[in-house]
Formats: sequence, structure tokens, C-alpha cells
Amino acid sequence: MSVTSLVHLKDRGAGRFVEANLIDGLTREDVEKADADWKPFLDEQIKRMESTGIPKHKWPQHRHWNWREKYDATEEYLAYRMFGIECQSQMQGLMLALTAGKNSQIASQRGRPLVYVHFLAAAPWNLASIVAEPRFSLVGSILVAAAIHLSIEEEFQGRIGLHSLPQSDDWYRKTCGMTDLGPDQTVENLRYFEMTPEQASEFLR
Amino acid sequence: MEAGTQSRKTMTLNLTEAEMKALDDLSATKDISKTAVLRQALRLYQMIEVRMARGEKLFFEHDITKEKAELMMI
Repeated sequence: MSVTSLVHLKDRGAGRFVEANLIDGLTREDVEKADADWKPFLDEQIKRMESTGIPKHKWPQHRHWNWREKYDATEEYLAYRMFGIECQSQMQGLMLALTAGKNSQIASQRGRPLVYVHFLAAAPWNLASIVAEPRFSLVGSILVAAAIHLSIEEEFQGRIGLHSLPQSDDWYRKTCGMTDLGPDQTVENLRYFEMTPEQASEFLR
Repeated sequence: MEAGTQSRKTMTLNLTEAEMKALDDLSATKDISKTAVLRQALRLYQMIEVRMARGEKLFFEHDITKEKAELMMI
């Protein structure tokens, strides 16, 4: 069952806030439509980057993510929740979160449960690394806030954890204020980040 | 903004003393209510059941020795 909440994104072109829907519990149709909108745009931008000689390490590192496959792989499980932000009839961001079986690794919180953010992405037209003028900002922040609220709802006090792609390390470290626990050899050497209850409160302030 | 809250149903649970103690201990260790512990347990159990129904097995691996032991599920 889907639950929708009102949120606001910043329309960068118009320079004003616009209403958007945060959807908890996306349907297959939601995800298929998002994929159908995102993929051609992303493919076109990758072609442009290739033809203009932009080195591969600057291409979006999550370009291979297939949200339809992620939906199919997790839809049966109670423990997974998929969120999306819809604005102007298009999905502006997606997030897949796990609500069971993951515990904090930070010394002060060790062993206590957290919400693990498996995947989080803004639509390709919202990424400054891809387009010169992204359409909406705040997509990532609202999804992180949704993960924190989910953690609070689950009695995890705002604790969340995630493995970051290198292009996003600084964003999780500086903008979100998460603790960087370093590279994790068990997950492709990606850096593992956690947010404590205190950091979650600070982020939501 | 809040993640949407879905409606919930209430049930009474009958546990032995040992089961209640295990639940109390987990609640204290995890710093969550007994309801939240059981919700976690249900989600993990459901995930294991779905995967085992697909023919997968559940293993524990020792962090240092890498020794694997299959967890037998009935």
C-alpha cells in the first residue's frame, strides 16, 4: 500500500519551491515509468559525455542501476521499502531502504538496529554532474530525511547506514554530516557511512 | 515531512517465561520495544522463508576463520 506525503523541491530554473509527493511504497507502474523516463535521458547524456571527451570516471557511477530489477528483487519482502519523489508527473528521485537485520557499527551505537539505505538516486536531469542546469534540488536531502523518519518510526532513533559511491562520498560526509567508517572490503570497497541519532536530529533541524 | 505510517492491527501474544526473557533481553540490547523486536523478527523470518522457498540456503560464516555452517530451518 502506498502512502503519500507533501514535500517541496526547489525548481532551480524558476527559483522557487514547488509541491511534490513523497511516495512510500511505490508500485511496479511507478518504477517502470521512472525507469522509462530516466533511462533514455541518461543514455543520451552518456553519449554526449563520450562524444565530448569527458573521461569515464566523471560519468555517473550509478548509470547501470536498474530500478525495475531492484523492485522485482525486493517487492516480496516486508523488510524492504521503496520511496519516490514525484513532481510535475515525473519521478525526481528513488530510494530503496531495508528495515531489518542491519545494526550500527559506531562504537556508541554498536549492535543497535538501523535503516540501511541500499540505493538512493536523483533523476538524471537533477544531477549537476550530468547536466549544466539541474531542474530540481533537495531531492537527495528529502530522501535522506525520509530514511531518518522511517528509522524513527521503526524505533531506531534516526540511525541510518549506507555504502556510498565515490562520487557521493563528500555529499554524505559534508552535506548530510554522516560518520565515515571507511572502505568496506565486503561491499566493493565502497565507503560505509552512518548517521547517529544526534546527527539525524542535526540533519532534520 | 514524515514517512507515511500504515494502519496497524493489535494481537495478544502468549509466551513462555524463557521466551519472554529472550524478548526482554533483545529489547534491552537493541534499545527498541518488544513490539519492534517482533516486527524485526517477522521481517527477517519472512525474508528467509521466501528465499528458502526459492531453493536458497542460509549460512553463518565465521568472521575470522571464514568457516561456514548452514542454519537448518524446519
